Amino acid sequence: MSTVDRVLIVGGGLAAVSLADALRSGGHTGDIVILSAEDHLPYDRPPLSKDVLLGRSGLEDIRLRPDEWYERVDFRTDARVASLDPDAGRVTLADGSEVTGDRIVLATGGVPRTPGGDPAVHVLRVWEDAERLRPRLVPGARVAVVGAGLIGAESAAVAAALGCEVTLIDPTEIPLLPVVGPEIATVLHARHAEAGIRCLNGGVESIERDGEFLRVAVTGLDEPVTADTVIAGIGIVPDTALAEAAGLTVDNGVVVDAGYRTSHPSVYAIGDVARRADEPRRHEHWDHARTSAERAAATLLGQDAPAQKAGWFWSDRHGSRLEGVGTMADAETRIVRGDAADGAFTVFGVAQGRLVAAAAIDRPRDIQAARRLVGRELPVDAAALADPATDLRKLLRARPVREER
Amino acid sequence: MTTTETGIKVADAGGIEDGEALVVDRDTTGHDDDIAVFHSDGAYYALDDTCSHGSASLADGWIEDGEVECPLHSARFCLRTGEPQCMPATLAARRHKVEERDGALYLFPGQEPAA
Repeated sequence: MSTVDRVLIVGGGLAAVSLADALRSGGHTGDIVILSAEDHLPYDRPPLSKDVLLGRSGLEDIRLRPDEWYERVDFRTDARVASLDPDAGRVTLADGSEVTGDRIVLATGGVPRTPGGDPAVHVLRVWEDAERLRPRLVPGARVAVVGAGLIGAESAAVAAALGCEVTLIDPTEIPLLPVVGPEIATVLHARHAEAGIRCLNGGVESIERDGEFLRVAVTGLDEPVTADTVIAGIGIVPDTALAEAAGLTVDNGVVVDAGYRTSHPSVYAIGDVARRADEPRRHEHWDHARTSAERAAATLLGQDAPAQKAGWFWSDRHGSRLEGVGTMADAETRIVRGDAADGAFTVFGVAQGRLVAAAAIDRPRDIQAARRLVGRELPVDAAALADPATDLRKLLRARPVREER
Repeated sequence: MTTTETGIKVADAGGIEDGEALVVDRDTTGHDDDIAVFHSDGAYYALDDTCSHGSASLADGWIEDGEVECPLHSARFCLRTGEPQCMPATLAARRHKVEERDGALYLFPGQEPAA
Protein backbone atom coordinates (compact mmCIF):
# COMPACT_ATOMS: atom_id res chain seq x y z
CA MET A 1 0.00 0.00 0.00
CA SER A 2 1.37 3.37 -0.99
CA THR A 3 1.86 5.89 1.78
CA VAL A 4 -0.77 8.54 2.22
CA ASP A 5 0.79 11.99 2.66
CA ARG A 6 -1.99 14.26 1.70
CA VAL A 7 -5.67 13.67 2.31
CA LEU A 8 -8.12 15.90 0.48
CA ILE A 9 -11.63 16.08 1.95
CA VAL A 10 -14.48 17.52 -0.10
CA GLY A 11 -17.17 18.92 2.21
CA GLY A 12 -17.00 20.84 5.48
CA GLY A 13 -19.55 19.30 7.83
CA LEU A 14 -19.30 16.97 10.80
CA ALA A 15 -18.01 14.04 8.74
CA ALA A 16 -15.12 16.09 7.31
CA VAL A 17 -14.12 17.48 10.71
CA SER A 18 -14.41 14.06 12.35
CA LEU A 19 -12.19 12.54 9.67
CA ALA A 20 -9.50 15.18 10.19
CA ASP A 21 -9.65 14.53 13.94
CA ALA A 22 -9.47 10.76 13.51
CA LEU A 23 -6.54 11.03 11.08
CA ARG A 24 -4.58 13.24 13.47
CA SER A 25 -5.31 11.08 16.51
CA GLY A 26 -4.38 8.03 14.43
CA GLY A 27 -0.92 9.50 13.83
CA HIS A 28 -1.29 11.05 10.38
CA THR A 29 1.31 13.81 10.10
CA GLY A 30 0.80 14.68 6.43
CA ASP A 31 -1.41 17.39 5.01
CA ILE A 32 -5.14 17.46 5.49
CA VAL A 33 -6.98 19.77 3.13
CA ILE A 34 -10.70 20.39 3.61
CA LEU A 35 -12.67 22.10 0.85
CA SER A 36 -16.00 23.44 2.13
CA ALA A 37 -18.54 25.00 -0.20
CA GLU A 38 -19.98 26.95 2.73
CA ASP A 39 -18.91 30.45 3.78
CA HIS A 40 -18.67 29.44 7.43
CA LEU A 41 -16.32 27.38 9.51
CA PRO A 42 -17.90 24.02 10.38
CA TYR A 43 -20.85 24.12 12.73
CA ASP A 44 -23.15 21.56 14.31
CA ARG A 45 -26.34 21.10 12.31
CA PRO A 46 -28.76 19.45 14.81
CA PRO A 47 -29.30 22.72 16.75
CA LEU A 48 -30.54 24.43 13.56
CA SER A 49 -34.03 22.96 14.02
CA LYS A 50 -34.02 23.57 17.79
CA ASP A 51 -32.02 26.21 19.67
CA VAL A 52 -31.11 28.22 16.58
CA LEU A 53 -34.73 28.49 15.42
CA LEU A 54 -35.73 29.38 18.98
CA GLY A 55 -33.17 32.19 18.88
CA ARG A 56 -31.18 30.69 21.78
CA SER A 57 -28.00 29.87 19.83
CA GLY A 58 -26.04 31.77 17.23
CA LEU A 59 -23.44 30.54 14.75
CA GLU A 60 -20.61 31.05 17.25
CA ASP A 61 -22.39 28.87 19.79
CA ILE A 62 -22.63 25.90 17.46
CA ARG A 63 -19.14 25.98 15.94
CA LEU A 64 -17.66 22.50 15.90
CA ARG A 65 -14.06 23.42 16.56
CA PRO A 66 -12.13 26.19 18.33
CA ASP A 67 -9.73 28.51 16.44
CA GLU A 68 -6.61 26.50 17.37
CA TRP A 69 -7.96 23.49 15.53
CA TYR A 70 -7.45 25.19 12.18
CA GLU A 71 -3.69 25.26 12.71
CA ARG A 72 -3.64 21.52 12.13
CA VAL A 73 -5.65 21.43 8.91
CA ASP A 74 -5.76 23.46 5.72
CA PHE A 75 -9.42 24.43 5.85
CA ARG A 76 -10.81 26.43 2.93
CA THR A 77 -14.27 27.99 2.98
CA ASP A 78 -16.23 28.97 -0.11
CA ALA A 79 -14.32 26.31 -2.05
CA ARG A 80 -16.84 24.77 -4.42
CA VAL A 81 -15.57 21.66 -6.16
CA ALA A 82 -16.71 21.47 -9.78
CA SER A 83 -15.13 18.20 -10.85
CA LEU A 84 -13.15 15.22 -9.63
CA ASP A 85 -10.45 13.26 -11.47
CA PRO A 86 -9.88 10.10 -9.42
CA ASP A 87 -6.98 8.75 -11.51
CA ALA A 88 -5.07 12.01 -11.23
CA GLY A 89 -6.05 12.44 -7.53
CA ARG A 90 -7.23 15.92 -8.26
CA VAL A 91 -10.27 18.16 -7.98
CA THR A 92 -11.01 21.33 -9.89
CA LEU A 93 -12.76 24.16 -8.07
CA ALA A 94 -15.46 26.39 -9.50
CA ASP A 95 -12.90 29.15 -9.93
CA GLY A 96 -10.74 26.86 -12.10
CA SER A 97 -8.00 26.22 -9.54
CA GLU A 98 -6.87 22.66 -8.84
CA VAL A 99 -6.17 20.82 -5.58
CA THR A 100 -4.54 17.40 -5.33
CA GLY A 101 -4.50 14.62 -2.75
CA ASP A 102 -3.10 11.09 -2.45
CA ARG A 103 -6.56 10.14 -1.28
CA ILE A 104 -9.76 12.06 -1.84
CA VAL A 105 -12.65 11.70 0.57
CA LEU A 106 -16.13 12.77 -0.46
CA ALA A 107 -18.11 14.21 2.47
CA THR A 108 -20.53 16.22 0.38
CA GLY A 109 -23.65 15.34 2.39
CA GLY A 110 -27.02 15.88 0.82
CA VAL A 111 -29.42 18.44 -0.51
CA PRO A 112 -32.88 18.75 1.05
CA ARG A 113 -35.83 17.79 -1.11
CA THR A 114 -38.22 20.64 -1.63
CA PRO A 115 -41.85 20.52 -2.77
CA GLY A 116 -41.79 23.86 -4.55
CA GLY A 117 -39.75 26.88 -5.53
CA ASP A 118 -41.77 29.58 -3.77
CA PRO A 119 -39.57 31.68 -1.45
CA ALA A 120 -42.02 31.02 1.39
CA VAL A 121 -41.30 27.29 1.11
CA HIS A 122 -38.39 26.63 3.46
CA VAL A 123 -36.02 23.74 4.05
CA LEU A 124 -33.66 23.31 6.98
CA ARG A 125 -30.17 22.04 6.31
CA VAL A 126 -27.62 24.86 6.54
CA TRP A 127 -27.19 27.95 8.69
CA GLU A 128 -28.68 30.26 6.04
CA ASP A 129 -31.85 28.15 5.96
CA ALA A 130 -32.36 28.64 9.69
CA GLU A 131 -31.53 32.34 9.43
CA ARG A 132 -34.10 32.80 6.69
CA LEU A 133 -36.79 30.82 8.50
CA ARG A 134 -36.41 32.23 12.01
CA PRO A 135 -38.01 35.67 11.41
CA ARG A 136 -41.02 33.97 9.81
CA LEU A 137 -41.86 32.11 13.04
CA VAL A 138 -43.73 34.88 14.83
CA PRO A 139 -46.84 34.58 17.01
CA GLY A 140 -49.94 34.00 14.92
CA ALA A 141 -48.04 33.07 11.73
CA ARG A 142 -49.67 30.18 9.90
CA VAL A 143 -47.02 27.54 9.37
CA ALA A 144 -47.54 24.33 7.42
CA VAL A 145 -44.91 21.69 8.00
CA VAL A 146 -44.65 19.02 5.33
CA GLY A 147 -43.20 15.78 6.68
CA ALA A 148 -43.36 14.68 10.33
CA GLY A 149 -39.98 12.94 10.53
CA LEU A 150 -37.19 14.34 12.69
CA ILE A 151 -36.69 17.78 11.11
CA GLY A 152 -40.39 18.29 10.46
CA ALA A 153 -41.45 17.30 13.98
CA GLU A 154 -38.75 19.41 15.59
CA SER A 155 -39.48 22.53 13.57
CA ALA A 156 -43.23 22.10 14.10
CA ALA A 157 -42.62 21.89 17.86
CA VAL A 158 -40.43 25.03 17.76
CA ALA A 159 -42.98 26.93 15.66
CA ALA A 160 -45.75 25.99 18.11
CA ALA A 161 -43.60 27.06 21.06
CA LEU A 162 -43.07 30.41 19.35
CA GLY A 163 -46.81 30.93 19.09
CA CYS A 164 -47.36 30.01 15.44
CA GLU A 165 -50.50 28.29 14.21
CA VAL A 166 -49.00 25.01 13.03
CA THR A 167 -50.32 22.32 10.70
CA LEU A 168 -48.20 19.18 10.39
CA ILE A 169 -48.79 17.08 7.28
CA ASP A 170 -47.50 13.57 6.73
CA PRO A 171 -48.65 10.75 4.45
CA THR A 172 -48.28 8.16 7.22
CA GLU A 173 -50.79 7.98 10.03
CA ILE A 174 -48.14 7.59 12.70
CA PRO A 175 -44.73 8.85 11.55
CA LEU A 176 -41.48 7.08 12.54
CA LEU A 177 -43.33 3.86 13.31
CA PRO A 178 -40.92 1.58 11.41
CA VAL A 179 -37.92 3.18 13.12
CA VAL A 180 -39.04 3.35 16.75
CA GLY A 181 -42.01 0.95 16.87
CA PRO A 182 -45.70 1.63 17.56
CA GLU A 183 -45.50 2.20 21.33
CA ILE A 184 -43.12 5.13 21.11
CA ALA A 185 -44.30 6.49 17.77
CA THR A 186 -47.89 6.75 19.03
CA VAL A 187 -46.96 8.63 22.20
CA LEU A 188 -44.68 10.97 20.28
CA HIS A 189 -47.17 11.78 17.59
CA ALA A 190 -49.92 12.48 20.14
CA ARG A 191 -47.73 15.15 21.72
CA HIS A 192 -48.06 17.34 18.62
CA ALA A 193 -51.84 17.59 19.09
CA GLU A 194 -51.36 18.18 22.82
CA ALA A 195 -49.15 21.15 21.91
CA GLY A 196 -51.92 22.59 19.76
CA ILE A 197 -50.55 21.42 16.41
CA ARG A 198 -53.12 20.35 13.83
CA CYS A 199 -51.99 17.00 12.40
CA LEU A 200 -53.12 15.99 8.93
CA ASN A 201 -52.67 12.55 7.47
CA GLY A 202 -52.20 12.91 3.73
CA GLY A 203 -49.85 13.66 0.88
CA VAL A 204 -49.16 17.14 -0.42
CA GLU A 205 -50.55 17.48 -3.94
CA SER A 206 -49.56 21.04 -4.65
CA ILE A 207 -48.39 24.26 -3.06
CA GLU A 208 -49.72 27.35 -4.77
CA ARG A 209 -49.39 31.03 -4.07
CA ASP A 210 -52.55 33.00 -3.50
CA GLY A 211 -51.56 36.60 -3.02
CA GLU A 212 -49.94 36.99 0.41
CA PHE A 213 -50.10 33.35 1.38
CA LEU A 214 -49.72 29.79 0.16
CA ARG A 215 -52.37 27.14 -0.35
CA VAL A 216 -51.22 23.62 0.39
CA ALA A 217 -53.48 20.98 -1.17
CA VAL A 218 -53.52 17.77 0.84
CA THR A 219 -54.94 14.46 -0.42
CA GLY A 220 -58.36 13.65 1.02
CA LEU A 221 -58.87 17.21 2.24
CA ASP A 222 -61.52 19.41 0.56
CA GLU A 223 -60.02 22.73 1.56
CA PRO A 224 -56.32 23.42 1.06
CA VAL A 225 -54.27 24.47 4.11
CA THR A 226 -53.59 28.20 4.16
CA ALA A 227 -50.08 29.09 5.25
CA ASP A 228 -47.80 32.10 5.46
CA THR A 229 -44.80 29.80 5.59
CA VAL A 230 -44.22 26.20 4.56
CA ILE A 231 -41.40 24.12 6.07
CA ALA A 232 -40.47 20.97 4.16
CA GLY A 233 -38.88 18.15 6.12
CA ILE A 234 -39.09 15.46 3.48
CA GLY A 235 -35.58 14.14 3.47
CA ILE A 236 -32.43 14.75 1.50
CA VAL A 237 -30.97 13.61 -1.78
CA PRO A 238 -27.33 12.54 -1.37
CA ASP A 239 -25.07 14.96 -3.19
CA THR A 240 -23.46 12.47 -5.55
CA ALA A 241 -22.94 14.77 -8.54
CA LEU A 242 -19.13 14.78 -8.35
CA ALA A 243 -18.93 11.02 -7.89
CA GLU A 244 -21.32 10.31 -10.72
CA ALA A 245 -19.54 12.60 -13.17
CA ALA A 246 -16.25 10.93 -12.18
CA GLY A 247 -17.65 7.48 -13.00
CA LEU A 248 -17.78 6.11 -9.44
CA THR A 249 -20.47 3.59 -8.55
CA VAL A 250 -23.50 5.48 -7.29
CA ASP A 251 -26.77 3.93 -6.13
CA ASN A 252 -28.72 5.96 -3.56
CA GLY A 253 -25.41 7.42 -2.42
CA VAL A 254 -21.80 6.80 -3.29
CA VAL A 255 -21.40 3.08 -2.83
CA VAL A 256 -18.61 2.15 -0.38
CA ASP A 257 -17.29 -0.98 1.31
CA ALA A 258 -17.02 -1.48 5.08
CA GLY A 259 -13.80 0.57 5.01
CA TYR A 260 -15.59 3.44 3.18
CA ARG A 261 -13.69 2.90 -0.08
CA THR A 262 -15.60 3.78 -3.24
CA SER A 263 -15.28 1.89 -6.53
CA HIS A 264 -12.04 3.85 -7.16
CA PRO A 265 -9.08 2.90 -4.92
CA SER A 266 -8.06 6.51 -4.27
CA VAL A 267 -11.49 7.83 -3.43
CA TYR A 268 -13.48 7.36 -0.22
CA ALA A 269 -16.90 8.58 0.86
CA ILE A 270 -18.27 9.22 4.38
CA GLY A 271 -21.31 10.71 6.11
CA ASP A 272 -24.72 11.21 4.52
CA VAL A 273 -23.46 10.78 0.95
CA ALA A 274 -21.97 7.31 1.52
CA ARG A 275 -23.95 4.10 1.28
CA ARG A 276 -22.37 0.90 2.55
CA ALA A 277 -22.80 -1.95 0.07
CA ASP A 278 -22.92 -4.41 3.01
CA GLU A 279 -25.80 -2.67 4.80
CA PRO A 280 -29.49 -2.55 3.94
CA ARG A 281 -29.84 1.24 4.06
CA ARG A 282 -28.00 4.51 3.84
CA HIS A 283 -27.58 6.38 7.14
CA GLU A 284 -28.15 10.10 7.46
CA HIS A 285 -27.66 10.67 11.15
CA TRP A 286 -25.14 12.78 13.04
CA ASP A 287 -23.65 9.69 14.68
CA HIS A 288 -23.01 8.08 11.30
CA ALA A 289 -21.08 11.14 10.11
CA ARG A 290 -18.77 10.64 13.09
CA THR A 291 -18.45 6.84 13.05
CA SER A 292 -18.03 6.57 9.26
CA ALA A 293 -15.22 9.12 9.50
CA GLU A 294 -13.50 7.12 12.24
CA ARG A 295 -13.67 3.93 10.21
CA ALA A 296 -12.51 5.63 7.01
CA ALA A 297 -9.55 7.09 8.89
CA ALA A 298 -8.58 3.61 10.05
CA THR A 299 -8.68 2.34 6.45
CA LEU A 300 -6.64 5.31 5.22
CA LEU A 301 -4.01 4.75 7.90
CA GLY A 302 -3.97 0.96 7.49
CA GLN A 303 -5.14 0.47 11.09
CA ASP A 304 -7.79 -1.76 12.63
CA ALA A 305 -11.23 -0.24 12.40
CA PRO A 306 -12.97 0.70 15.65
CA ALA A 307 -15.74 -1.69 16.71
CA GLN A 308 -18.90 -1.29 14.72
CA LYS A 309 -21.70 0.15 16.84
CA ALA A 310 -25.38 0.26 15.97
CA GLY A 311 -26.55 3.56 14.51
CA TRP A 312 -27.91 6.07 17.01
CA PHE A 313 -30.04 9.18 16.60
CA TRP A 314 -31.92 11.63 18.75
CA SER A 315 -34.64 14.19 18.29
CA ASP A 316 -35.89 16.89 20.67
CA ARG A 317 -39.49 18.05 20.56
CA HIS A 318 -42.04 19.43 23.03
CA GLY A 319 -39.51 19.23 25.85
CA SER A 320 -38.94 15.50 25.37
CA ARG A 321 -36.06 13.62 23.89
CA LEU A 322 -36.51 10.72 21.53
CA GLU A 323 -33.54 8.45 20.96
CA GLY A 324 -33.19 5.39 18.78
CA VAL A 325 -30.59 2.71 18.21
CA GLY A 326 -30.87 0.56 15.10
CA THR A 327 -34.25 0.17 13.39
CA MET A 328 -37.27 -1.32 15.17
CA ALA A 329 -38.57 -2.80 11.91
CA ASP A 330 -35.70 -5.30 12.19
CA ALA A 331 -37.16 -6.69 15.43
CA GLU A 332 -39.34 -9.80 15.69
CA THR A 333 -40.50 -9.00 19.23
CA ARG A 334 -40.48 -5.88 21.37
CA ILE A 335 -39.94 -5.50 25.10
CA VAL A 336 -41.25 -2.42 26.90
CA ARG A 337 -39.24 -1.14 29.86
CA GLY A 338 -41.03 1.31 32.09
CA ASP A 339 -44.56 2.60 31.73
CA ALA A 340 -45.76 4.47 28.64
CA ALA A 341 -48.24 6.32 30.87
CA ASP A 342 -45.31 8.02 32.64
CA GLY A 343 -44.16 9.47 29.34
CA ALA A 344 -40.59 8.22 29.80
CA PHE A 345 -40.03 4.64 28.67
CA THR A 346 -37.90 2.41 26.50
CA VAL A 347 -38.67 -0.26 23.93
CA PHE A 348 -36.13 -2.93 23.04
CA GLY A 349 -36.35 -4.86 19.78
CA VAL A 350 -35.22 -8.48 19.65
CA ALA A 351 -34.62 -10.75 16.67
CA GLN A 352 -33.20 -14.26 16.78
CA GLY A 353 -32.41 -13.97 20.46
CA ARG A 354 -30.33 -10.82 20.03
CA LEU A 355 -31.02 -7.18 20.72
CA VAL A 356 -31.31 -5.41 17.34
CA ALA A 357 -32.89 -2.07 18.19
CA ALA A 358 -33.98 0.23 20.98
CA ALA A 359 -35.96 3.44 21.22
CA ALA A 360 -36.72 5.61 24.20
CA ILE A 361 -38.40 8.78 25.34
CA ASP A 362 -36.40 10.60 28.03
CA ARG A 363 -34.40 7.51 29.09
CA PRO A 364 -30.83 8.44 28.08
CA ARG A 365 -29.18 5.83 30.30
CA ASP A 366 -31.15 3.02 28.68
CA ILE A 367 -30.01 4.24 25.28
CA GLN A 368 -26.38 4.50 26.37
CA ALA A 369 -26.64 0.86 27.39
CA ALA A 370 -28.51 -0.10 24.23
CA ARG A 371 -25.81 1.45 22.04
CA ARG A 372 -23.41 -1.00 23.62
CA LEU A 373 -25.80 -3.97 23.70
CA VAL A 374 -27.32 -3.84 20.21
CA GLY A 375 -25.51 -6.02 17.70
CA ARG A 376 -23.52 -7.89 20.33
CA GLU A 377 -23.75 -11.63 20.76
CA LEU A 378 -25.33 -11.42 24.19
CA PRO A 379 -28.23 -13.51 25.44
CA VAL A 380 -31.37 -11.41 25.75
CA ASP A 381 -33.12 -11.79 29.09
CA ALA A 382 -36.56 -10.34 28.36
CA ALA A 383 -37.62 -10.15 32.00
CA ALA A 384 -34.44 -8.33 33.00
CA LEU A 385 -34.76 -5.85 30.14
CA ALA A 386 -38.38 -5.13 31.01
CA ASP A 387 -37.64 -4.48 34.69
CA PRO A 388 -36.68 -0.82 35.22
CA ALA A 389 -34.78 -1.89 38.33
CA THR A 390 -32.28 -3.92 36.28
CA ASP A 391 -28.91 -2.25 35.93
CA LEU A 392 -28.34 -2.60 32.19
CA ARG A 393 -24.60 -2.32 32.64
CA LYS A 394 -24.66 -5.66 34.41
CA LEU A 395 -26.18 -7.22 31.28
CA LEU A 396 -23.19 -5.95 29.33
CA ARG A 397 -20.94 -8.03 31.53
CA ALA A 398 -22.91 -11.17 30.69
CA ARG A 399 -21.21 -13.91 28.74
CA PRO A 400 -21.48 -13.94 24.95
CA VAL A 401 -23.91 -16.41 23.36
CA ARG A 402 -21.05 -17.77 21.37
CA GLU A 403 -17.37 -17.00 21.48
CA GLU A 404 -16.44 -14.06 19.29
CA ARG A 405 -13.43 -14.76 17.10
CA MET B 1 -8.72 23.88 59.79
CA THR B 2 -10.88 24.88 56.83
CA THR B 3 -12.45 22.71 54.16
CA THR B 4 -9.83 24.10 51.74
CA GLU B 5 -7.29 22.04 53.71
CA THR B 6 -9.39 19.04 54.71
CA GLY B 7 -11.82 18.83 51.83
CA ILE B 8 -15.54 18.20 52.08
CA LYS B 9 -16.62 14.71 53.01
CA VAL B 10 -18.90 13.56 50.20
CA ALA B 11 -19.24 9.82 50.82
CA ASP B 12 -17.95 6.91 52.80
CA ALA B 13 -15.29 4.86 51.05
CA GLY B 14 -17.19 2.42 48.85
CA GLY B 15 -20.21 4.73 48.93
CA ILE B 16 -20.03 5.22 45.16
CA GLU B 17 -20.28 2.01 43.17
CA ASP B 18 -17.86 1.39 40.32
CA GLY B 19 -19.30 2.98 37.19
CA GLU B 20 -21.41 5.39 39.23
CA ALA B 21 -21.15 9.02 40.23
CA LEU B 22 -22.67 11.35 42.75
CA VAL B 23 -23.40 15.05 42.47
CA VAL B 24 -22.23 17.52 45.06
CA ASP B 25 -24.44 20.58 44.99
CA ARG B 26 -22.93 24.01 44.38
CA ASP B 27 -24.58 25.23 47.57
CA THR B 28 -22.45 22.75 49.49
CA THR B 29 -19.18 23.58 47.74
CA GLY B 30 -19.51 27.26 46.91
CA HIS B 31 -18.21 26.37 43.43
CA ASP B 32 -20.00 27.89 40.42
CA ASP B 33 -21.19 24.50 39.12
CA ASP B 34 -22.32 21.28 40.74
CA ILE B 35 -19.45 18.80 40.95
CA ALA B 36 -19.70 15.17 39.88
CA VAL B 37 -17.57 12.63 41.76
CA PHE B 38 -16.96 9.52 39.64
CA HIS B 39 -15.80 6.02 40.49
CA SER B 40 -14.18 4.19 37.59
CA ASP B 41 -12.11 1.02 37.95
CA GLY B 42 -11.21 1.63 41.58
CA ALA B 43 -10.22 5.29 41.20
CA TYR B 44 -12.14 8.45 42.05
CA TYR B 45 -12.31 11.61 39.98
CA ALA B 46 -14.23 14.89 40.15
CA LEU B 47 -15.28 17.17 37.32
CA ASP B 48 -17.73 20.02 36.88
CA ASP B 49 -21.05 18.25 36.50
CA THR B 50 -22.43 20.31 33.60
CA CYS B 51 -21.21 19.09 30.20
CA SER B 52 -19.03 21.76 28.58
CA HIS B 53 -21.01 21.36 25.36
CA GLY B 54 -24.58 21.49 26.52
CA SER B 55 -26.50 21.39 29.71
CA ALA B 56 -26.56 17.73 30.73
CA SER B 57 -25.34 16.32 34.03
CA LEU B 58 -22.20 14.27 33.45
CA ALA B 59 -22.99 12.29 36.60
CA ASP B 60 -25.92 10.86 34.61
CA GLY B 61 -23.50 9.77 31.89
CA TRP B 62 -21.96 6.44 31.04
CA ILE B 63 -18.79 5.81 33.04
CA GLU B 64 -16.37 3.33 31.53
CA ASP B 65 -12.63 2.89 31.03
CA GLY B 66 -11.68 6.14 32.75
CA GLU B 67 -14.08 8.20 30.65
CA VAL B 68 -17.57 9.59 31.03
CA GLU B 69 -19.93 9.88 28.07
CA CYS B 70 -22.47 12.68 28.24
CA PRO B 71 -26.06 11.37 28.20
CA LEU B 72 -27.24 14.01 25.71
CA HIS B 73 -24.90 14.04 22.71
CA SER B 74 -22.33 11.41 23.67
CA ALA B 75 -19.38 13.76 24.06
CA ARG B 76 -16.75 11.83 26.04
CA PHE B 77 -14.41 13.28 28.66
CA CYS B 78 -11.30 11.78 30.18
CA LEU B 79 -11.98 11.56 33.91
CA ARG B 80 -8.33 12.09 34.79
CA THR B 81 -7.60 15.12 32.59
CA GLY B 82 -11.08 16.48 31.89
CA GLU B 83 -10.16 16.70 28.19
CA PRO B 84 -12.91 16.07 25.63
CA GLN B 85 -12.26 12.88 23.63
CA CYS B 86 -14.65 13.47 20.78
CA MET B 87 -17.22 15.84 19.38
CA PRO B 88 -19.37 17.72 20.02
CA ALA B 89 -17.52 18.95 23.12
CA THR B 90 -14.50 21.15 22.52
CA LEU B 91 -13.77 22.51 25.99
CA ALA B 92 -12.25 20.54 28.84
CA ALA B 93 -14.28 19.87 31.97
CA ARG B 94 -12.78 21.55 35.05
CA ARG B 95 -11.21 19.09 37.48
CA HIS B 96 -11.25 18.91 41.25
CA LYS B 97 -9.15 16.97 43.70
CA VAL B 98 -10.69 13.92 45.41
CA GLU B 99 -8.97 12.11 48.25
CA GLU B 100 -9.77 8.81 49.93
CA ARG B 101 -8.84 9.16 53.60
CA ASP B 102 -9.82 7.44 56.83
CA GLY B 103 -12.56 5.42 55.18
CA ALA B 104 -14.18 8.38 53.45
CA LEU B 105 -14.03 10.41 50.24
CA TYR B 106 -13.13 14.08 50.44
CA LEU B 107 -13.66 16.63 47.68
CA PHE B 108 -11.51 19.75 47.31
CA PRO B 109 -13.62 22.10 45.16
CA GLY B 110 -11.59 24.32 42.87
CA GLN B 111 -8.31 22.52 43.59
CA GLU B 112 -6.75 20.72 40.63
CA PRO B 113 -5.70 17.15 41.32
CA ALA B 114 -1.99 16.34 41.26
CA ALA B 115 -0.89 15.31 37.75
